[in-house]
Amino acid sequence: MGYGIAVCNPTCRAGEGLIMSTAVPPLIRLAGISKSFGDVHANRDVSLDIEKGKILALLGENGAGKSTLMSILAGQLQPDKGSIFFEGKQVVLDTTEKAIGCGIGMVYQHFKLVQGLTVTENVFLGARGGFWLNWSKMQAEVKELAAQYGMRIDPAARISDLSMGERQQVEILKLLHRESTVLIFDEPTAVLTPKEADNLFLTMHEMVKRGKGIVFISHKLEEVMAIANNIAILRRGAVVDTVATKDVASTAELAERMVGREVLLQVDRIPMEPRQVVLKVAQLSDELLQNVDLELRQGEILGLVGVAGNGQKNLVETICGLKKPKKDCIKILGAEWKKFFSSMEWDNVLSYIPEDRQGLATCQGLDLLDNFLLTTRQGFTRGPWLYREQAREKADYLVEEFDIRPPNLKAFAWQLSGGNLQKMVLAREFYRKPRLIVAEQPTQGLDIAATEDIWNLLLNAREIAGILLVTGDLAEALALSDRIGVMFNGRLIDCFDSDDEEKIAQIPQMMAGLKEQASGAGR
Amino acid sequence: MLHMRIAKRQEPLGLGGSCLVLVLALALSLALSGFLLFLGGTPPVKGLSTLFHGAFGSRWAFEDSVLKAIPIFLCSLGVAIAFRLKVWNIGAEGQFALGAVGATWVALSYPDWPAYFLLPAMIAMAAAAGGFWGLIPAFLRQKLRTNEIIVTLMMNYVAILFLDYLVYGVWKDPTSFGFPMTPAFSDNAVVGKIGSSSINWGIFHCLGLGFLMWGFLKFTRLGFELKAAGDNVAAARYAGIPYDRLVMLVMVMSGALAGWAGFLEASATVNRLQPSIMVGYGYTAIVVAWLARLNPLSIGIASILLAGLRVGVENLQLDLQVPAAFGGILEGLILLTVLAGGLFTHYKIERKRIR
Repeated sequence: MGYGIAVCNPTCRAGEGLIMSTAVPPLIRLAGISKSFGDVHANRDVSLDIEKGKILALLGENGAGKSTLMSILAGQLQPDKGSIFFEGKQVVLDTTEKAIGCGIGMVYQHFKLVQGLTVTENVFLGARGGFWLNWSKMQAEVKELAAQYGMRIDPAARISDLSMGERQQVEILKLLHRESTVLIFDEPTAVLTPKEADNLFLTMHEMVKRGKGIVFISHKLEEVMAIANNIAILRRGAVVDTVATKDVASTAELAERMVGREVLLQVDRIPMEPRQVVLKVAQLSDELLQNVDLELRQGEILGLVGVAGNGQKNLVETICGLKKPKKDCIKILGAEWKKFFSSMEWDNVLSYIPEDRQGLATCQGLDLLDNFLLTTRQGFTRGPWLYREQAREKADYLVEEFDIRPPNLKAFAWQLSGGNLQKMVLAREFYRKPRLIVAEQPTQGLDIAATEDIWNLLLNAREIAGILLVTGDLAEALALSDRIGVMFNGRLIDCFDSDDEEKIAQIPQMMAGLKEQASGAGR
Repeated sequence: MLHMRIAKRQEPLGLGGSCLVLVLALALSLALSGFLLFLGGTPPVKGLSTLFHGAFGSRWAFEDSVLKAIPIFLCSLGVAIAFRLKVWNIGAEGQFALGAVGATWVALSYPDWPAYFLLPAMIAMAAAAGGFWGLIPAFLRQKLRTNEIIVTLMMNYVAILFLDYLVYGVWKDPTSFGFPMTPAFSDNAVVGKIGSSSINWGIFHCLGLGFLMWGFLKFTRLGFELKAAGDNVAAARYAGIPYDRLVMLVMVMSGALAGWAGFLEASATVNRLQPSIMVGYGYTAIVVAWLARLNPLSIGIASILLAGLRVGVENLQLDLQVPAAFGGILEGLILLTVLAGGLFTHYKIERKRIR
């Protein structure tokens, strides 16, 4: 006998799972969950209900706090405040085992499967039972379970021979076999083909019909609209909106709710006269990007907005020399890409402020002085020698000026909070007096005061630089930018002045891919 | 149930604490090996003191320890610089062999060159041969994404068999009564001994190279780039550090140092090339590098300790009939306890809160 039937019996009759009465407590209730890492608030006062027979979509930019929230649910992190209720009873999920015990199962973006084992072996991995294994019974069980949820998979196949979509099915089967009642999918369609994604949605519908609760994390707006019953939108760690999907008119409305326009912070932006061109991208294409054209002049900020994953990353990495363009189509400070990066000076050129502060912008195991030297080392070099003492003086001064805490150059990067680490990166990058700045989510996860400091720094930097600001926060783009570009599906949909109210009103449509610029159209 | 958990320290352990941990780790490994001696029927205290006396107790013993420490030090200095970049070069043994072959080729081909010319030429050839042997796995790693651990390990066997091929074949001394060895080097090709001691001038090569390496790592830009890339490759690429080239440079340096050790062993210790020079210094060097946390000065100290262990075990074998394998066991125990003690640098063990 399959496990699935036994689990579903109470709820799957006549679609009762879909009819919710308020008397029935939700499967999981999060009440006032807050979690900080140092001075970064990953989650602030998050309250959510995961209900039986419903799909809850969690929508938010990278860094909005989705992963932290899910790690809390999976028992990997402990909230600082707030409580979790399982079927109305308060629980403390301080181990992953307890989370599994509450029926919570995660389908991670990066699958956790043993490559060399078969589907059945993976599904049964960790299951308890007698000493002897009955392979044919186990395989039959897996096959039956798969069939119930509309999955077609060979229980005897080896994981390494399966496609990404099939591997994901194995992950799901693992959870179903464990009788999980709450399934959390972390961007499940990111690795799937459109066909596979459709199959996944069918499976999800089947699970819902059988009374499971599903959390669907994504930033693909159409998918969320198509599949979710409810949508919770996270921004800067807080739930800013919870709506029923039927009350959302279009993906554009969703995009607008997601990026938000309310003004948290006001800075004075006095427009400057744009001077010479510092960056010119002409018809850049790669596996994701399609014919991107853009031009950036000294004295202006070009805000690039769009939902994450629409080509911003490729564009930034290509401009910053980490990814080679297919043909010569980028000119930086007048030089071709190849020539520019083969003979790049350390100062008066290009500064890249990456989104990934821990993994890309700094060396976590080195102290602040060494991290300061990371991109400024050529400035303290004579012959083969590195003059650390000179660097120490400069870095000491910068630590004070940027109010980096702890104000100690011997502190290791991993000891710094996110905000202080970002200030360290900015101090270092501005010390290079760049003429082209590429800033990627520069204020993500920072508090208002730090955000204001960084905004002012960027505005002042226009004196000598042109700035490409890539942000998922529309309010930030509107506050700082002279021009705004919108990216969707690898294309720069449109680029316009930031005082063009008509166009600004259309940004959500552009982000959702509903509005095409005439010249950029045509796939 | 033990309610313990491991927690990260906010501040890494200071110097005093680190020394204490090191001493405790060494004491633990000695206690464990004492227990092993006891199991074998040897009185532990007597056994360990015999070991110590055999290593450092007499002038002869001490000189022998220092003599063995020379090649270990050079090989270890080499692997340590690769390890700093997280390139796992375990090919010091093969690079050592090839260095000895390179030096021998010069010594046999130009025996009449004056010493001040011949010795540098031998060193250059040894370093070039060892460096070349290190460059191959580095190149394969960066271009074809091969695993350097496997490639360097396999290349050790190739190098050692190549050495065997030469001494059993084309380079064999016709007057050696069939023993696999080359003819003895000319006097000009021999690094001599210091005064009446048995220690050769190679010790000064070690001091000089160790000092250069320390300066290189601490004061040069390349040394800094190595440190940064060893910590975070992505950040290194972000900062424009040419990582691929750095890996190749480090492997060439690593191989060159091991090759230099091979030169000293052939020239100063046996005055010829013979298979008996391959006694695993290249592998001991890996242990030394980790014990010393890749720091050049500590490598010096650890080399002498582990060389002493090799010498002392011979004594133990003669006096108390303890099997030679005991040396290998003790070496392993020291490495394990010291590495395990390294946990306390960044972590502490605390009582778990019980809910």
